[in-house]
Amino acid sequence: MHVAVDVGGTFTDLVVSYEDGSVVGYKTPSTKPDIIQGFFNGIDLIARENGITPQAVFDRLTRIDFGTTAATNAILEGQAARTGLIVTKGFRDVLVIREGGKEDTYNMHAKYPEPYISRALTFEVSERMTAEGEVLLPLDEAGVVQAILALRTEKVEAIAVSLIWSIANPAHELRIGELVREHFPEAQFSLSHEVNPCLREHRRAMSCALDASLKPLVALNVASMRNRLEQVGYRGKLTYITSSGGKAAPEDILRRPVYLCFSGPSAAPESGRRFAGMEGDTQGNIITVDMGGTSFDVSITTAGKLPMHRAGTIAGHIFGVPSVEIHTIGSGGGSIARVDAGGFLHVGPESASSYPGPACYNRGGTRPTVTDANLLSGYLNENFVSGGGMTLSRERSEAVVGEHIARHLGNSIEEAAGLITFACEQDMVSAIEDLTVRRGVDPREYIMVAGGAAAGAHAVSIAREIGVKRVILPKMAGVLSAFGILAGDATFGFARSLATTTGAFDTAAVRKALAELQAEGTQFLVGLDVAPANRHMRWSCQARYRAQVWELSLPFEPADLDAEDPGRGLAARFHELHRELYQAASEQEDVEITEWNLLAVGKLSDIKLPDISLGHQPQPSAGTRRAYFRDLRASAEVPVYGPLSLAIDQPVAGPLIVDEVLTTIVVGPGSSVTLSRFGNYVIDIH
Amino acid sequence: MIDNFLMIVLRRRFEAIIRDMVNALFKSGRSGVLNTAMDFSCSITDAKFQSISVAIGLPVHTGAIDLIPRVTAELYGDDMAAGDCFANNDGYLGNTHCADFTLCVPVFFGGRIRFYAIARAHFADMGFPTPTTYGADAVDRFMEGLQLPCVRIQKNYGDVREVVDICRANIRAPEQFYGDYKACLAAVRTGEKRLEELCDKYGADLLEEFVDEFQSYAERMTASAIAQLPKGKVEGTYRYETDLPQYPDGIPIHAEIAVDPEAGRIEIDLTRNVDNVPLGINLTESTTLASCRMSALNVLGADIPRCSGAFRRIVVKMREGAVIGKPRKPAATSAATSNLCSAFASHLHALYAQLGAGLGSAYSTVGVPASASVISGQDPRYGDKDYVNQILMGYWGGPATARSDGWLTYGSASTQGAVWQSSVEVSELQHPIIVEKLAIRQDSGGAGQFQGGPGASVTFFAHKAPVRFIFYSGSSRIPPKGVRGGSDAAPTGAWLERHPGERELLPNNGNILLQPGQRLHSDSCGGGGYGDPAQRDRARVDHDVREGWITPDFAARHYGAAR
Repeated sequence: MHVAVDVGGTFTDLVVSYEDGSVVGYKTPSTKPDIIQGFFNGIDLIARENGITPQAVFDRLTRIDFGTTAATNAILEGQAARTGLIVTKGFRDVLVIREGGKEDTYNMHAKYPEPYISRALTFEVSERMTAEGEVLLPLDEAGVVQAILALRTEKVEAIAVSLIWSIANPAHELRIGELVREHFPEAQFSLSHEVNPCLREHRRAMSCALDASLKPLVALNVASMRNRLEQVGYRGKLTYITSSGGKAAPEDILRRPVYLCFSGPSAAPESGRRFAGMEGDTQGNIITVDMGGTSFDVSITTAGKLPMHRAGTIAGHIFGVPSVEIHTIGSGGGSIARVDAGGFLHVGPESASSYPGPACYNRGGTRPTVTDANLLSGYLNENFVSGGGMTLSRERSEAVVGEHIARHLGNSIEEAAGLITFACEQDMVSAIEDLTVRRGVDPREYIMVAGGAAAGAHAVSIAREIGVKRVILPKMAGVLSAFGILAGDATFGFARSLATTTGAFDTAAVRKALAELQAEGTQFLVGLDVAPANRHMRWSCQARYRAQVWELSLPFEPADLDAEDPGRGLAARFHELHRELYQAASEQEDVEITEWNLLAVGKLSDIKLPDISLGHQPQPSAGTRRAYFRDLRASAEVPVYGPLSLAIDQPVAGPLIVDEVLTTIVVGPGSSVTLSRFGNYVIDIH
Repeated sequence: MIDNFLMIVLRRRFEAIIRDMVNALFKSGRSGVLNTAMDFSCSITDAKFQSISVAIGLPVHTGAIDLIPRVTAELYGDDMAAGDCFANNDGYLGNTHCADFTLCVPVFFGGRIRFYAIARAHFADMGFPTPTTYGADAVDRFMEGLQLPCVRIQKNYGDVREVVDICRANIRAPEQFYGDYKACLAAVRTGEKRLEELCDKYGADLLEEFVDEFQSYAERMTASAIAQLPKGKVEGTYRYETDLPQYPDGIPIHAEIAVDPEAGRIEIDLTRNVDNVPLGINLTESTTLASCRMSALNVLGADIPRCSGAFRRIVVKMREGAVIGKPRKPAATSAATSNLCSAFASHLHALYAQLGAGLGSAYSTVGVPASASVISGQDPRYGDKDYVNQILMGYWGGPATARSDGWLTYGSASTQGAVWQSSVEVSELQHPIIVEKLAIRQDSGGAGQFQGGPGASVTFFAHKAPVRFIFYSGSSRIPPKGVRGGSDAAPTGAWLERHPGERELLPNNGNILLQPGQRLHSDSCGGGGYGDPAQRDRARVDHDVREGWITPDFAARHYGAAR
């Protein structure tokens, strides 16, 4: 028996895979600040539902996979450890300057963001390397000791060390690490060339600063979790979910806590991939969306490959280590609608959040939100919402939509509500286009997997807008990330910075680096009990033409080094990749390789959902409801079906509504919906 | 009939097309100015030259980009066909300045032009006599390098070879030029393709109707924002420092702004400005209009679309032959986006501050500091390969506004923080220089209830080869001024250090060959302060002292002892 945990802002989701092959999702309120308590409450819930004791649950569990927002929240809320920064003399402002640009060009009153580590805790030391790794200025060790002692006086708990060109020659950073150990042994520290050996001083320093600042807190969290699990006599494995959506051992997380950024949501694309496969998809082109109350997350999986990048940000701070690329916008049920002075409708970015929430919650919300519009459009079941037992006030929604929207636009409340929903969906469409059309990806060749409480109301309309023909609303739609955590592989990334060129390829040095990486990767997989047959090593290097600015990630195999001229082979592969991406290549040019990466992957288990078709009894529609369809620019009375009441594998043509337990699925005219044998809803758009 | 649903969807569609154009240019640009600094802008107009814009790109680029298709249509009329593309870098033909290379494609549907797709990018070299991008000391337009007076550079979707060859023959880094030209072309052709698809889907007539309705919407937004302003007229003169003997106190910059809230109009009279000067700083029609429109809209709010409909409410009176207005031949305009232009745009913001409390901003940076030079030479690490590029460091110092301290990486009123910063490591990888320092210059922002953003202190060291630095800075004698009781910022300065410890002051107009072992120091100005310093939140003063943005001495002098 395994359990996967995804701690969210409002709910802690758990998915359990039982010994008999059944898989069940659970939701329990998140607890703050002690998020681990939420997990234990979840175990209590599972015990109650199964009629056993919590102790019996722990006795049966063999693996706990934990997606934790501890790191993400600490960064968002500025609650990470008091951290000092040591930099090369002349560059105290490396975190202040950022990379420039201004998100809202036209807002002349925008406030300049504070640096992640204050200037007062940033110390310069005299030293300098060149781009070629030569020592231009030796390290002033006395100055380093002074800085360390000053940081001790300032009572920092952690120290980040990020020097200019440490990726070309790490000697000075390594020496500062030794001096920290010697003069301030209580402090945790991180060295930039180890955390994220990338070009560009700002992003490397950011990765390092985040990593150092998370170390004390993550150490406490992991210790607390282990301690409490020990108290209940838990003897199974514990893993944490990383930025890349894979599982890693607590030791790996303790060493590189920056890899906990986005732990949890990072598993959603894996979930999308699994559900698409379950419903017979073989292409692996999947748009995974998660629609909650305050945000909309989207990620694009192409040919079964999860989208990775190195530009992930939290609260405007770039964390830089490889992560699953998930694009998040602040659109959701709580987004507030307004009409501007010129008579144009806007939805968001302001949100009513979960408290007071939409006007229909009747908790003092006085402005119209997307949820209010959905209620008026018939996209919500007035009688049960979010399982919270709250009844919704249609009157409140009508009042605020009337006063703030319909009156200004001179239209009916019905049409005003339709417009609000539509405007919100247009933002979601734009978010998807940013990741598809803008990158030369044609969304019409993709299917969509939609999770989150708001998915059923919007997914089909959005899919139609971008040309997607099939939408899957999985059985686990309410616990999308937790299912991805359960189903995912063990993965962790390892990197070495080592500069060479394909023209003068340093085979010996590269071999040595790869051997070290191989050993680290193997140790990682052995630690998680991954059988040798299930271990996969994925190799890549960061390559570019000389003096180019942006590197490309170039996959290779260690066997490539056995060729007579390994540099030539890699160069050829690079030209090919460059041409594929930018329609041009410079075959005469040498290729520079700056960084060597290994992603160690271990297959852990194969999760399948049980077949529900045996003994399934379809139910007729439970009645009708008026719902607004903008294609008709009008409302229509449509049939409403209860949970799992459709016949298995029998398409039913829209318009219709399915009131599922956690979401309401709106199927417009021109679409049909099928309940699959795995309990997923598959909607085809004609 | 365009209903509310269509308004929402078509607005997003047009914005999405402009984003697609921007993306195409950014991803395929070759020079750092394009692929890192993002010093370019894209736009669309309809056949009536009504623009649609999005909140990306540079204000000085996009504020009057509608002049480009207007000129193209005037010159070519019916002699345009699908597949044509026109190149324009001529300040007399609607362009900003000659280093901005602008492409314009007419988009045909149903046999006639329905739209124009436009991309404008700043090129590091346009064949000036010296390797620079501004050439501010050009006496007349014949010293401004290559001129492309709205010429057909593509016909039937293929290059007009002669034109491209002329460009390549005149520009220092022809391969970089050709790559950047292709990047701009990718942008306009992407725009064209997407517009055709949109016409297919919705019908061109409906789209034209939408553009009209969108302009009316923007006009309503603008009029209602103007209605909130105090009624009145403000005028004033600012000075732009030069070495011209006829202007020992600087060139006067004059503007009169009349706000009529009932009529929902702002009128800006620039006719009393002096005649063109024999320098490259004369404004073009494009940069004069853009400065007026964008500064007014800054005051009116971020929500209003920056498009022709909004601009109808901002009426500009200018005169041909004036230094601020329309240039008269042969006046040079090569620095028309940066130097005098930044001073002028900054002056307009300050005049709004004079109009009423809570409006406008203080003065900001004039001229581009030495730390953002165009650098050139040969790199011995790569077989003496030639390079010419602008590095963008320390062009900072945002002005304080009525509600916020100055934005640090602001640049000038022409760029307003839109330009990205060069990375130290990338700069050292691409050029044989060492950046020894890139830091906040303490005490350089003007004090005030809201404080000006600081400038930068930057030091370069030539490592293994000589490096040429060319810059045209300002603000050394006339630093950015404070408004409404706010203080002035610290002035700009640059020094050459031939031997350790011996600094010689450089003029605003610098052209230095830095020899190995020598250093160049640049201290750039901050932005002016806004409002009475005595009103400043004490917690902010303490924060700035603790964080080292200002010294305790500065705090005591401007904000008094701790209260």
